[in-house]
Amino acid sequence: MSLERRMLTRELKLNVARPGEIFKPMWFLILVVSMLPLALAPDSDLLSEIGSAMIWVATLLALLLNTEHLFQSDFSDGVLEQWLFLNRPLAWLVGLKLIAHWLFHVLPLILITPIAGIMLSVPTDVLWALLVTLVIATPALTCFSGLGAALTLGSSRSGILGVLVMMPLFVPIVILAAGVLIRAMDGSDTLPLLALLGAFSVVAATVVPIAVSAAIRLNIGGSN
Amino acid sequence: MGWRWFHQWGSPRWFYERAGRWQLVCGRLALTLLITGSLWGLAFAPIDYQQGNSYRIIYLHVPVAFLAQALYAAMAVCAVVLFVWKMKLADVAMQSIAIMGFAFTALSLISGAVWGKPTWGTYWVWDARLTSMLILAFLYLGVIGLRAAIQDPDQAGKACGILVLVGVVNLPIIKYSVEWWNTLHQPASLKLTEKPAMPASMWIPLLINILGYYVAAAYLILGSMRAIVLERERRSAWVRELVSRA
Repeated sequence: MSLERRMLTRELKLNVARPGEIFKPMWFLILVVSMLPLALAPDSDLLSEIGSAMIWVATLLALLLNTEHLFQSDFSDGVLEQWLFLNRPLAWLVGLKLIAHWLFHVLPLILITPIAGIMLSVPTDVLWALLVTLVIATPALTCFSGLGAALTLGSSRSGILGVLVMMPLFVPIVILAAGVLIRAMDGSDTLPLLALLGAFSVVAATVVPIAVSAAIRLNIGGSN
Repeated sequence: MGWRWFHQWGSPRWFYERAGRWQLVCGRLALTLLITGSLWGLAFAPIDYQQGNSYRIIYLHVPVAFLAQALYAAMAVCAVVLFVWKMKLADVAMQSIAIMGFAFTALSLISGAVWGKPTWGTYWVWDARLTSMLILAFLYLGVIGLRAAIQDPDQAGKACGILVLVGVVNLPIIKYSVEWWNTLHQPASLKLTEKPAMPASMWIPLLINILGYYVAAAYLILGSMRAIVLERERRSAWVRELVSRA
């Protein structure tokens, strides 16, 4: 079995052993979405207008909370140190870890957004746009929040610092996704914006793992 | 021999002594420029026919806004120097620039809000420039917060360097996306970009003040860099000698 397959299998086993970690962000998302009508008004017109944007922001927050300790357990039990001795580039292993995280943690989160959408009476075509933007944009979000997690790895009292540090970098992604949602509500063409969003994800997925691996080396104490 | 000018930057003591002299020069120059520019701008420049006297905050607002953006670029240059030449002084510079940069960004946001009230009737609008300035403030805060959270100074410096480099690549994307976002949501009701043409008696003092604030920033950054160098080198012989003499 190749190293890559073994790594993914290990991630799968770890996640199956601790399913709570997968369900917590979903729980968070649904709770935030339930708070909105309580805080605002049970008026379905109003909710459907702001619902998709609200779900996007809530999903972003859930994803951030989820990614915050991405490398923590691997760091404390020494797995990250072992990565340095493998005959693979560290950035590649980081990329695998991020892919596994996206598959086992982010994808389930995206899959329950339709429920949140129904709760806020978001129209069906906007809901589709929402799903597509999330699938396209979350790889970039996962990469950046992974970087935040890696940078704050060494400090025990960092708290949600990784999230705070990375949040400003999400601005272009949020703006593009909001653009898609607005166009979907008008019924106009969303493809150009989705292409830009996809480009952002592709660039992030190729470049950010290198920065993440530099941050990990830094925290392990090896000279880079 | 030919590289001496470069290698001496690696010596904290050399920098500490030189920077003291540079600081003196910068301080005097900044004081002269700022007094000239501000007096001229605040007292002698003509009144604006639309905004009256309230436009005079431009002599503070524009220079600090320029600096807020320029300092992030300067910080990125320091990060590159840190990674390429492993020069510890670059890390010291990054640390002091981050704090100064945040201060100037906050000052430009506050002075902008104060200016906005009489001119537009509101402290804040989600205009593209204001928004990207706000994001810039968050980016500076991130760099400061990251350094504060990591105890080992070398490690903190490198982590901040990675963050600054990722940030500087993103900064143009953020800027353009915010501009595009603004045109997408609503046509801007208030435009900052269309300035009325200024007569020379207004822009010359502005130019003097911009120069003055740049030199003043250099003065402040050199001062805080010297303090950081002293703190980091507190165990070395020359710092002990310096402190015991004082």
